[in-house]
Amino acid sequence: MARPTPTARRTSAFPYLLVLPAVLLFAAFVVAPGGYALLLSFQRRKVNGGLLGGGTHTVFAGLANYRDVLGDSELWSGVVRMLLLGAITVPATVLLALLFAVLLDIEGTRLRRVTRLTIFLPYAVPGVIASLMWGFLYLPATSPIGGDRVDFFGQVAVYFSVGNVAVWGAVGFNMIVIYTALRALPAELYESARLDGASEWQIIRRIKVPMVMPAVVMCTLFTVLAALQVFNEPNTLKPLSNAVSSTWVPLMKIYDDAFGNSDIYSAAATSVVLTAAALLVSFGTARLIQSRVQQEAA
Amino acid sequence: MTAMAGTSATPRGRTATAPPPPAGPRPRRIAALPTAALVLGALYCVVPTLWILVAATKSRTKLFSTDTYVPSLDLGLVHNIRDLSDYQHGIFWHWMLNSFFYATVGGVLASLVSAATGYALAKYAFRGRTALFNTILAGVLLPQIVLAVPQYLLLSKAGLTDSLLGVLLPQLFNPYGIYLCKIYAESAVPDSLLEAGRIDGAGEGRLFVSVGLRLMGPGLVTVFLLQFIAIWNNFLLPFVMLTSDDKFPLTVGLYSLLRHGAAEASLYSLVITGTLLSVLPVIALFLSLQRFWRIDLVTGALK
Amino acid sequence: MSVIPRRRRAAGAAALAAGLLLAVAACGGGGSGTTAKGGDTKAGTGTGGKVTLTFWDWDPNIDKVVAKWNAGHPGIQVKLSNPAGGDQLVAKMITAHEAKNGPDIAKVEYQSLPALVSKGVVADITDYTKDTVTKYDQATLKSTVFQGKVYGIPQDVAPLMLFYRADLFAKYGLTVPKTWDDFAATAKALRAKAPSAYLTNFDAADPGWFTGLAQQAGANWWSTSGDSWKVDIADAPTKKVAGYWQQLVDGGSIAKNPSFSPQWNKQMNDGTLLTWISGAWAPAQLGGIAPATKGKWKVAQLPAWTAGDPTTGIWGGSATTVTSDSPHPEEAAEFASWLNTDDAAVTEQVKQINVYPAATAGRSLPVLQAAPAFFPNQPDFYAEVKKVAPSARSFPMWGPDVTVTFTGYTDGFAKALQSGGSFTAALDSMQSATLADMKKLGFTVG
Repeated sequence: MARPTPTARRTSAFPYLLVLPAVLLFAAFVVAPGGYALLLSFQRRKVNGGLLGGGTHTVFAGLANYRDVLGDSELWSGVVRMLLLGAITVPATVLLALLFAVLLDIEGTRLRRVTRLTIFLPYAVPGVIASLMWGFLYLPATSPIGGDRVDFFGQVAVYFSVGNVAVWGAVGFNMIVIYTALRALPAELYESARLDGASEWQIIRRIKVPMVMPAVVMCTLFTVLAALQVFNEPNTLKPLSNAVSSTWVPLMKIYDDAFGNSDIYSAAATSVVLTAAALLVSFGTARLIQSRVQQEAA
Repeated sequence: MTAMAGTSATPRGRTATAPPPPAGPRPRRIAALPTAALVLGALYCVVPTLWILVAATKSRTKLFSTDTYVPSLDLGLVHNIRDLSDYQHGIFWHWMLNSFFYATVGGVLASLVSAATGYALAKYAFRGRTALFNTILAGVLLPQIVLAVPQYLLLSKAGLTDSLLGVLLPQLFNPYGIYLCKIYAESAVPDSLLEAGRIDGAGEGRLFVSVGLRLMGPGLVTVFLLQFIAIWNNFLLPFVMLTSDDKFPLTVGLYSLLRHGAAEASLYSLVITGTLLSVLPVIALFLSLQRFWRIDLVTGALK
Repeated sequence: MSVIPRRRRAAGAAALAAGLLLAVAACGGGGSGTTAKGGDTKAGTGTGGKVTLTFWDWDPNIDKVVAKWNAGHPGIQVKLSNPAGGDQLVAKMITAHEAKNGPDIAKVEYQSLPALVSKGVVADITDYTKDTVTKYDQATLKSTVFQGKVYGIPQDVAPLMLFYRADLFAKYGLTVPKTWDDFAATAKALRAKAPSAYLTNFDAADPGWFTGLAQQAGANWWSTSGDSWKVDIADAPTKKVAGYWQQLVDGGSIAKNPSFSPQWNKQMNDGTLLTWISGAWAPAQLGGIAPATKGKWKVAQLPAWTAGDPTTGIWGGSATTVTSDSPHPEEAAEFASWLNTDDAAVTEQVKQINVYPAATAGRSLPVLQAAPAFFPNQPDFYAEVKKVAPSARSFPMWGPDVTVTFTGYTDGFAKALQSGGSFTAALDSMQSATLADMKKLGFTVG
């Protein structure tokens, strides 16, 4: 690794200096809190005694918190709801993003600048505020989009209503990612296809889409990560209807444990379990997609 | 994660940055269907904002008693803005200022941290480089909510909760920014230029500032704006960290107006007006920075 | 070539950032100087004997009452903050206590007080409040005095009452129901007369509302003997109440969307909902909820289970507490006492926040001769409240983990409304969740 030239030796401390701020921040705000959460997950709060407890102390709880977490049916229902929601948001976001990107790239499409910017703008609207705005649109009393005829908070509809807010905020960003990849393709690719009499649709299907697959994969990863961490949308929509419970998705359960019931120990144990699962899922997906892409490329 | 790097390898041929349609020599017919579909998509994206715009024109008494589609034309918006400005001695404008402060300062500092790290990862071979890069990328996977409470408890030991620093510091580390900066440095800062500088006797620090940072400039603007949005949109961290309402950013402030407390009327007309006012400056920022806010750079394509 | 303008722009951005920094620092400066945070205040007392106390409260307009205190007490300045409301403030207090940087004083609803005491968040202020407690009757003190120790100064009492749209009752030819049987019949009759209107809505979002109704029926969710607790959330009176409302909901006689949502605000404004079962603090809230209906509401006693029984429950009501983190409990207790027992302070609270005072003398203040601004049509408003206040009953004591119970209510009843489940089953799951949590925390449950 190290180059044996004098310059390299002279500079060997400098890269460490450059990465030092990031490493310090990472240690202080990711590693340390993560480790602390792990520590908390093995503890539990107990009252000191007497009717009112007389204050509390923490005790070592071993794996008791984990046992409770894994045996909590509400958490698992939350995981199922999260997966259902993800089954809507991930394909919808990625496919819409791909669609818009492809449309933007068609020669002869007008209003590109303004539509591109408009579709991108929701990305700059905080999730809390986006959920609030859509909430008003869903409620029968204030809905300009037919909320008095359609129940947006019905048992099935609620997944689409919550998912819609997430899709709304994410499509634009992903569209730009894919569009950029499209713009980077050499135009000669299509010219020869056109000479062979290929239609625009065939060019899209046979050339453009396969060529931007790496960008689509990246978007899918982003969207999957967001789906695993869904929180703001259901949490903001919760007080508007009876449809969203306080443990509707796993992160809401953690929030409710930590902030509602002030039980950071259970929240920590749930967090550890979910983070481990998220790591497995993400690495698994990344691996899978990667090998698929390599196969196709081969 | 390596899949991400795939996109950065693609920029070849057509420039990745040209937004205007290619001006072909022969006149092209208008692609009506794609245009219509895009307009539909754009409509979908502005509908909620339009509703907020209409609702914000309605006075408190009219908000829930008049037709939802029709804006009020009787200066309701002016009154609402005045009410919002009067609320707790204009605390809303404090929130707005706070949001800009957190997002601007946090964005600048986070971009610098990312630039330094990305540059080092791209331009130096040093022990532990790959391990460091992979660890940083894995940081994307930790949900913020998992870290929020431990962060609060640890920061309180340092006396930093309920302070500007308590909100800023945890947001300076940005794995995605570091990833982008590494790509930018790889593609925009040629090794030969650095070598030439070294031969001329320039120190590594000077090379980083005058060659590295300068050449990564356009990319850094993008990293800054991405981080600006991330901090602007952040709700949970400031919500957990802050207890003084005069330090709230907009997200937490508007949420506190909305969830005013159990058995308390929410101040909907204030929330709606506040929402409108909070969306407008970001739109303005985007439009005005559009020239050098190159959204295409989010993929790491720097040419 | 483009490097220079870009740099200039960057410089502009940096200048902008620096400007913002200065602006915010300037704005925050005044605040941070006066903030009482542990060490700060200790240093403060050393220099000149001036004490600054932080006070968390979410009442709109409470700042005007605090300003009155600050004007009269230069040595003890109170700085107000509104970090969150109601139950969310409780969570914030617990987290802040965990980090040892809570406020000095905080508004706490009665139902959350035992939980905060059990976690050691709220301080015992018995020694500083010997005089203050004599200004309350025993029934009121029960909410803040546990095992002989004072943990808070009661601010208001909130008997549950029936608020109704007098204009619409007249329009539809309805009479104000005196019993729950009347109420059910009226609900049905209204549906026949005006298919778009409902007598009321069942609120699964606010547990305080339902507990008030259960209290009226005689429920005792928590009771104590010695150092041991008895939890009985699915007791017979509660099941009676749940069964009654389930029938109304299943029969389609009442609406079932949550209160305090935009949807509900609209219904309250446009006359879709004819009544609101609420605490005596409702007038202040109605102004925000349904501003278009000023002067159209009246208050009446809550319908009774047996005709003529004046018993009612409570919804809300709060105490001013001093936290165990406060380095100045004596001064903090002095403020809390002043806020809730001083005639001028209580008068201001009635005027600004429409509280119905908890202090005995407070209930005879001249300011209560006038109706709240939103009820100009009912000059005897407070006389009505005064009539029922003595017969308002709460549980013998609120549980130490009431948040678990309340989350159970919100989730369980919302689910039952959403998918047609049984209210009684929801009560059973609230009972088991509450018991499990109390045992986990180490309380003695008998």
